[in-house]
Parts: sequence; C-alpha cells; structure tokens
Amino acid sequence: MAETKEKSLSDEKPKPRVRPIVRLGIFLISHSFLVSVVCCTAGVLALFLLPVLAKNTYISENALMPGSASPMLSNQHVSDGNRLVKDLTNPNSKSSETGIESHKIIAQYMLDLGAEVSFHKFHPQMNQFHPLHFFSSPVSGKIQENYSCSSYGINTVGIIRAPRGDGKEAIVLVTPYNALKSGFGEALSLGIAYSVFSLLTQVTWLAKDIIWLVADSQYGEYAAVAAWLREYQSPKFSSLSTPNAEMCPDVNNLFELKGHSISGSKFSNSFRRAGTMAAALVLKVRDQNEQFEDTISIYAEASNGQMPNLDLINVVNYLAVHRQGLRVNVEKLWPLLNSSWLKSLGEIFESLAKVAKSLYPKWKFGIPATEYVEGTATLASSLYYQALGVPTGPHGAFRDYQVDAITLEISPKFSLDKVWRNDILLRGGRLIEGVIRSVNNLLEKFHQSFFLYLLTSPSKFVSVGVYMIAFALLIAPLPMVAASLYVDANSSSNYSKGDSSTPSAITDTDEHGIAIRSWRWLNSAKLVFIVHLWGAIVSLLPYFISQIPDCSPTTSFMIWVLLSILSLLTSNSVLASPLACAKATQEKEWALVKSVTISSVFIGLGLMSVINFATAEIGALLMVPMCLLARPLKLDVRAGTLRSFCRLICNLVLGHIAFPPAAFFLLKGMLDGFGNANVGDFWMWVESLWAWNSATYLFIGMVQLPCWVLCVSILFHTC
Amino acid sequence: METFINPKSLFHLLLLPCLLLYSSIAYNSSPVEAAMHTNNWAVLVCTSRFWFNYRHMANTLSLYRTVKRLGIPDERIILMLADDMACNTRNKYPAQVFNNENHRLNLYGDNVEVDYRGYEVTVENFLRVLTGRHETAVPRSKRLLSDEGSHILLYMTGHGGDEFLKFQDSEELQSHDLADAVKQMKEKHRFKELLIMVDTCQAATLFNQLQSPGVLAIGSSMKGENSYSHHLDSDVGVSVVDRFTYYTLAFFERLNIYDNASLSSLFSSYNPSLLMSTTYYRKDLYKRRLEEVPVTNFFGSVMETIHTDAAYKALSRRNSGRFEDEMSLDQSVHHIKRRMLIKVNDGDEIHDINPEGEEGASKCPWSTFRNKFQKAENVDSLLNYGLVAMIPLLVISTWLVQ
Repeated sequence: MAETKEKSLSDEKPKPRVRPIVRLGIFLISHSFLVSVVCCTAGVLALFLLPVLAKNTYISENALMPGSASPMLSNQHVSDGNRLVKDLTNPNSKSSETGIESHKIIAQYMLDLGAEVSFHKFHPQMNQFHPLHFFSSPVSGKIQENYSCSSYGINTVGIIRAPRGDGKEAIVLVTPYNALKSGFGEALSLGIAYSVFSLLTQVTWLAKDIIWLVADSQYGEYAAVAAWLREYQSPKFSSLSTPNAEMCPDVNNLFELKGHSISGSKFSNSFRRAGTMAAALVLKVRDQNEQFEDTISIYAEASNGQMPNLDLINVVNYLAVHRQGLRVNVEKLWPLLNSSWLKSLGEIFESLAKVAKSLYPKWKFGIPATEYVEGTATLASSLYYQALGVPTGPHGAFRDYQVDAITLEISPKFSLDKVWRNDILLRGGRLIEGVIRSVNNLLEKFHQSFFLYLLTSPSKFVSVGVYMIAFALLIAPLPMVAASLYVDANSSSNYSKGDSSTPSAITDTDEHGIAIRSWRWLNSAKLVFIVHLWGAIVSLLPYFISQIPDCSPTTSFMIWVLLSILSLLTSNSVLASPLACAKATQEKEWALVKSVTISSVFIGLGLMSVINFATAEIGALLMVPMCLLARPLKLDVRAGTLRSFCRLICNLVLGHIAFPPAAFFLLKGMLDGFGNANVGDFWMWVESLWAWNSATYLFIGMVQLPCWVLCVSILFHTC
Repeated sequence: METFINPKSLFHLLLLPCLLLYSSIAYNSSPVEAAMHTNNWAVLVCTSRFWFNYRHMANTLSLYRTVKRLGIPDERIILMLADDMACNTRNKYPAQVFNNENHRLNLYGDNVEVDYRGYEVTVENFLRVLTGRHETAVPRSKRLLSDEGSHILLYMTGHGGDEFLKFQDSEELQSHDLADAVKQMKEKHRFKELLIMVDTCQAATLFNQLQSPGVLAIGSSMKGENSYSHHLDSDVGVSVVDRFTYYTLAFFERLNIYDNASLSSLFSSYNPSLLMSTTYYRKDLYKRRLEEVPVTNFFGSVMETIHTDAAYKALSRRNSGRFEDEMSLDQSVHHIKRRMLIKVNDGDEIHDINPEGEEGASKCPWSTFRNKFQKAENVDSLLNYGLVAMIPLLVISTWLVQ
C-alpha cells in the first residue's frame, strides 16, 4: 500500500531523493507480514538454539584464585563440628519449648572459639501487599503494634574479626535452623558451618570479617535473614521498638543467663556489626535424599530475576567439582527432560552440527542431544524462576542490599554411620572454606563477570548479549506491523471515501478530511488507555480483597474476577464505548485499535525487558503471536477460505492461552499434572507475587491483561 | 716602553684562555671516550599491585637478593615495589615473602631497603629515577646517582602488553617513554652500559624503540606470547614466582662473585620449553661481545681492577678486556670479605701485571704524560699536546725578536 502511494506521489512531482534508511523502513512496513513471520520464527528458533550457543563459564576476576590454596580444614575441626551436631541432636537440648536451649548451646560454642556473639531477636514481618511502596526497599524502622511475646525469633550471630584486616568488609555465612523441630540435616549444616568457623578463628590470612548467622527459621528462612539484614543495614534509632521485645520475660531470661554464665566474655546484648558484605553463602543440608552420590544444588535467583555475579557461582562450581568431587546441580524443569519432541529437536541440531563440521572443520557448535535436552530443561527453569521474580531461598534477602549471595544445598547420599558423617562434614566444610578464602582474596565488589545471564548447566551460561537476540527478533515485527496497519487503515478509508464522493468535492474537503482522519487514531488510543487504566485498577483490587477477613483463595479469586468484570463494564460505559462500533463508516476501526494495541504492547515489553528480562521473554512468547494474528472473527467467517479458517482457529487458541489465569493453569498442569488444579491456586500464586514485590505482577496486571482484553475485543469486533 | 709592554701583556692575556681551552680539550676528550667501568647500579621495579600479583614482588625481591649477594650494595640499588605483599592481610606468613613453596628463603628478611613503595611507584617517579630529574627534597638514597662509568641493571616485572608495561592499576609505561628516558640518560652520561631485563607478557615489544648505544635488553617473551608463572604455593594460595625469573635465579644460584660466567651463557640458559615463552635479547646497540662480558658486570659489582704498586700512585690503564679482580667500592657490608678476596688474588695479579708494571714504574707526573704520549692511541690528544708545546716556542720567539 505504501508503495503504491509512493508511486502515485512520484508520478506527479519530480522524484525527491529518499534516504536509504527511509526506503528500507518503507520496504519493511510494506512487507510487514513476511517480516513478522520470519522474525517471530527466528525469535522462537533462537530461543531454542540458546542451549547450543551457551558458553562455558570461566572465572573472570583474577583476584579470586579459587582452589589455589590447599584446604586447611582438618579432622580436628571436623570432630569439633561433630561435637556440636551431637549436642544439638541430643534429646535433652530439645526439652525446652521455645528452643532456647539450642540457641544457648550454639552461642556457647561460638564463644568458646573466641568469636563475638550476640542474639538478634526479631518479630516476623508478614509479607503484605503495599501498593504505594511496591518497588521501594524493605521498610525499616516500621513498628508494628500488635507484637505478642509469643511470636519472636532469635538469630544467633557470631563474628570473627580479621586479625590484621581493616574491618571494612565481611563475608556472611548463613545456616537456617529451626530450634523447635530441627531435622538432622539442619544440625549437620550447623556442624559444617561450625567446623569452618573454628578453623577461621585460627587462620592468619583473613582480610574480611566472618559473620556466621544462625537464622531462626521457625517463621521461615527468608523472614529471619531479612529481619537480620534490615537491622544490620538500617539501624533503628527509635527507642520505641526495643522495649517491645525486651518486655517479654523469656528473652530477658535468656540474656541474663548468658550474662551470668560468661561474664567478661565477648558476649553482648547489643546488635553487632562488621563491615560491608562482600558475599553471603546460605548453607543447607537436605534431610532425605535418594541420589546415588553427594550432590550440591545451587539456588541463585533473587527477587525480580536478579542474579548474583556469575563469578560466585563459578567459584562454588569449580571448587565443588574439581576439589571436593561433589556433583553440582542447578534447578531443572524435570518434565522437560522426558519430552520426546525436545529430544528430536536436539538430534536435529546435532546432525546439523555434524553436517556443518563436515563442510568446514572449524565449525564446532553442536552438542549431543541428551546434553541439549538437559540444557533446555535448565534454561527453562532458569527463565521460569527469573520470570517469577520470587527469590528461591534466603539468599534473596541479600540481593535486595546488592550483596551477592547464593544458597547451597548439600544432599548427601544418606546413611547414618559416623564415617559418612565425617566425610560430608569434611568435604562440605572444605568447600565452604575454599569459597570463603577465594572471596577473601577479593579486593573490590564482585563486578568482573556477568549479572545478566541464564544458566544452561552449572558450568554453562548464556549471556545477555546472546539471549537478547531472541527477544529482539520476537518483538521486532511489532512496530512494523503497527505502522503498516496505521497506514493501511488511513489509506483504505481514504479510497473508500474518494469513491463515494464526487470528484469535484475532493479538492476542497480533502485537506480538512485528511487532517481529521489522521487524528482518528486518538480515538483508538483513548480506548487502549482506558483499558490499561482498568488494568491498573484490577491490579490494585487484591489489596482490598485481602482485607476481607476469613476468605478462602477460591472465593477471593471469584470476587476479584467479578469486580474486574464489573469495573470493566462501568469504565466502558462511563468513559467510552469501545466494544460497540458506533460509526459504521469507520470500518477499519479495528485496524487502528490493533495498531495502537501493538504499539502499547511493544512499549510494555520493552520496558519489562529492562526490569526483568525473563518475564518479558515469556510474555512476548504469549502475546506477540496473539497481537499479530488478532483480526475480527466475523471477517474470517465471512471470507470462508482455508487460510482464514486457520487464522480463526489460531486466534481462538491463542485467545485462550494468553489469558493470564489460563496460561498459569496450563503451565501448572504441564509441570504438576492437571489432576490437582484448583481455581484458588491462581489467587495464591498472585498473592505470592505481590508479597515478594515481583514486577511480574505489575506486568500481568498492566500489560498482559489489557493486551488480552483488547485483542479479544478485536476478535469480537462487530464490523 | 709602554707601547711595547701593552701589546705584550695583551698578547699574554689572549694566550691564557687559549691555553685553558686547549688543556680542557685535552683532558676532557679522553675520559668520555674511554670512561672506565667504575661502579654498578641496579634499578629493580615491581609494577603491579594486588595480592594476586604476589609473584611480581617475589620476583623483584629475589633479584634484589641476588644482586646484593653478588656485590651491589644497598645504596646503589633502587628498589621499587608497587604493593606490600608481606604485610597484606591475606598473607598467611605475616611479614614474609617467599619465592618457592619450600619456604626455605624469606626474601623479606632483614636489610631490605625499599626505596619506592606502594603508590610512590609511578611512571613519573620511575622516569625521574632514570633521568635524574628529581625535586630538591628527594633524598640521595632515592636517586640513581650513576655516572659515565656506571653499569646499570634495570629489571622490571609486572603486567605488560604490546609496547607497554602496566604500572599500578592505572598507568602504563610505553616503549617510547622507556627509549626516551634511556636516551636522556645517555646524553647526561648517566651510564656506560645498561642492561634492561623485563619479565612481562610480550616483553620484547618494550625494547622496540630503543636507540641509545650501550644498551642491552632481554625480555621474557616475544610479541604475542605470554610469560607464565612458575608454580603455585598452595600454602600461601598464590603463584610465587614467574618462570623467566625463576630460571634466571636458578642460573645465578650456581654462581658466586668469583665466577666467570658470561652474559651469553645466561642468555642461552633459557629453555623455551620450560619457560613456555621465547626469550628475546636485543644486542645491536651493544658493542662488546656477549661471550666476553661476565654477568657480574651487571648483576654484581665486579669490574676491572686498577693495579697500583703503592698508595697514591698515578693511574695506569689496562688494555685487556678480561677481568681478574674486583675493586671494592663499598666498604660497609662486605668489607672483610673483600679484603680477603684481594689477598687471595694478589699472587695471581702480580705475575699477570708484570709486563705493564715495568713500563709505568716511575712516580713523577711527567712519566704519566710520557706514558700517554707513547701510547699514541689518541691522535687528537697528541695534536693538542703538540699545539700546547708550540705556544712557549712562539712566546720565546716573539720575545727574541724584540
């Protein structure tokens, strides 16, 4: 269309020189259908090629030098750790109902090593939806009124000062521990941490202070770590908050006892600090395990898809694999491992690589099919957990303060004999020691390696420069199609008008008419704006719904849906009449609506890719085909050709899939099976999203849902 | 009378500067041409900071120890260390630096005088040391007080690249800067011979711009090659020495001051397969044959001996290029050792020196004059002396004419 217009123009006037970039743009817009098909296919293909394109990780920071020092953790330290494990698992220590006894034991052990010890008591802050500070950092100094003495947690903190260090930096070691119902695994993780801690009190090479935080996990691991970090990073100066907790007799009792038994020692009632945190390791030992060998799982995803520096993962991976002989795992989407289509895709890539290699021996990009399937499963899980925006462990609390942190979960092959226990204490301890020594060598913050990456295996990654290509290809057709539709709608209505009116009338009214028509898109823009406004209202609704007491997730969800529909209808009737096509003359109205919708989706996806890439990528996979294909069903039914029928089917399917709850249930069904799907699950999921301040929630509410509504309105357009 | 006297005195007055000029030419020309190797200096530079560059400091300190052992005194060594590994908190052995994992030798023991440390090690200060352009407040111990008779060893280690060497973490020394500094040194008669030894990646490229005569350069690797560390000390947790320096030290550990190993034997001792890089030496600016230059000419303080029969005797110069003995210039540290050495070598020296001793036996100044005259090796000076001798003749003749 654009070309014909161009031609007609050039016939009349001497041909003006059109710049190549403009000509290219016009060419792309006029062939937008072909371009969008090619780009979308390429985008999806590029996503599936990512496991093949993944590079091996390498340690980018010279200063780290992992594994260059031989481990110093000896059997002496291991037996120390063993002693603590025995004392903690001893039934006598569990007699106390509040679990204070075991805290005392841990504190006593720390004190015996010569570390500074303090207790940090905290009231668990329930995660709640605060619409006004969504992206703001965790609130400090906020005092909640209704604290009860029964609900508080006690973190035990031990600090070793670097003997010759300047005390400006610290490394944090976290072991979650629930004193009330601790499994053997938790005790073992304390044992490992203690053996390392006892070694570190003796060494001369510390440049950073070591903080060992025994996080009281009875109110959740994350809450305890987050509470401690809040206190550490933003000290409270109001005197109001402290008496609250001090009034509880149990806590006072604890401190008094300590003060008496070990007077003049390094125990202190006040909150102890060390320097800024260079890195943090959360150590866990899993209780049950059916693996055949000792494995260690790395969890790295923090809130909103933030990742710790890749170097930290590299160091752990290197030391675990090459020094301690542990197998390293990162999360995988297990259902994908058995999918046959993925396997055949992997085989296709493998055979392609073989052909390429036979053509030119230097092309080596193929990976075996099994490796491809595993890489894809890992990549998918990496994308999924980043897109979710919910931290996968207590390490997420550190990322909020820009501290690089990961959770290490050791799953030993389980047997209860003493040799095995010593072995896991020794290897786990040496791994932690190695990581700490390596981080200790750091001179600056972690900065050399990547922060934006997706893992395809513990030792392979896809960097931002590569995975952006897939996303860019996917969203590239959007502006072109939008422009093409806009031009199309304008010119076609132009012609239809020209036909109906008499030729003589054109000369006078045309200028005016074109001016009006060229602003017609404002009408569609108004509609799109209203729908987005509605999206914002819908995303605020859960805040009010959650205020309703005693509401089951299912009913909450129902209320939410009802309110949403209601608000859509009211806004529709009050502000505009978007769904009803009032003026029959504007038969291309839907094209303009689609054009503006696509533009807004493009902007939304572009913004989201900056905030959380994985969300944008998954959102683009769902929304881009729907946006591009959307077309009034009536037109397709009227046309009645095979092509339009296919389009109709695609539209209907995509219209269902792209609806956020539908997409959620589909994903959940694929992962867990459809049997136990419940309507309330979606409410729970959404609740978890806003509780963790995930930007994905905003994306769904303010980009995806409006886009879906607009597309559906286009599908049911009455023209 | 007055009319006669005046021109005469005028003539005498005119004559005096001429005489002075001649004499100055006569005396100056010979030392520049034939400055003797009279002293040794060493400038040892470690240019990199940070704990993981431990090996660079260990390299430099090892070389410091070696040149000190071979007789260069502390006041003639300028030691520049960009960071302090010994007192780094990460050092498992506080205040000690080792260059081997056996930990037998503490390089940072007593008597280590670091002249420029930490952030003082900059390109500017390095160039100031070489060219001698210091601010007035800089103490003598921080200056390179060499002269035209000096042999200077310049050792540098750190991280380098194509025609540059990184200083600290922020600056770099380019090959042009180095060549320019060396040229200035040459013009200011700050050295007789200069050996530049560089242990960095692509070390050879650093010598590309050198032009000054009397400079010999050796680098650990060619362009495009890396220089590697030798081994890791798993106790300290870092690499402790670089390969090139390690094998250099291995060569010198076998030597003592009396040894006669030549520079060519040092250069040929490097095995590319052990070094994992190719050593490169540039000798086109250097006159002497490497086979005839003992390593102790640079790495020690061993030089030609000037034999005197008795105290306060006039100088006599030896023509032979060989060296028999060393002249002790420092009296502080190796005093006793030196004295013993001289005694030991006495007998040897006497029979060796005999033929020349007969010639230069007489003690009056005239004999030295004659001696120089007879040698007639320097035509210019001969001509000068001739002219000077003609002046009295001229004076007498004019006087006679009157």
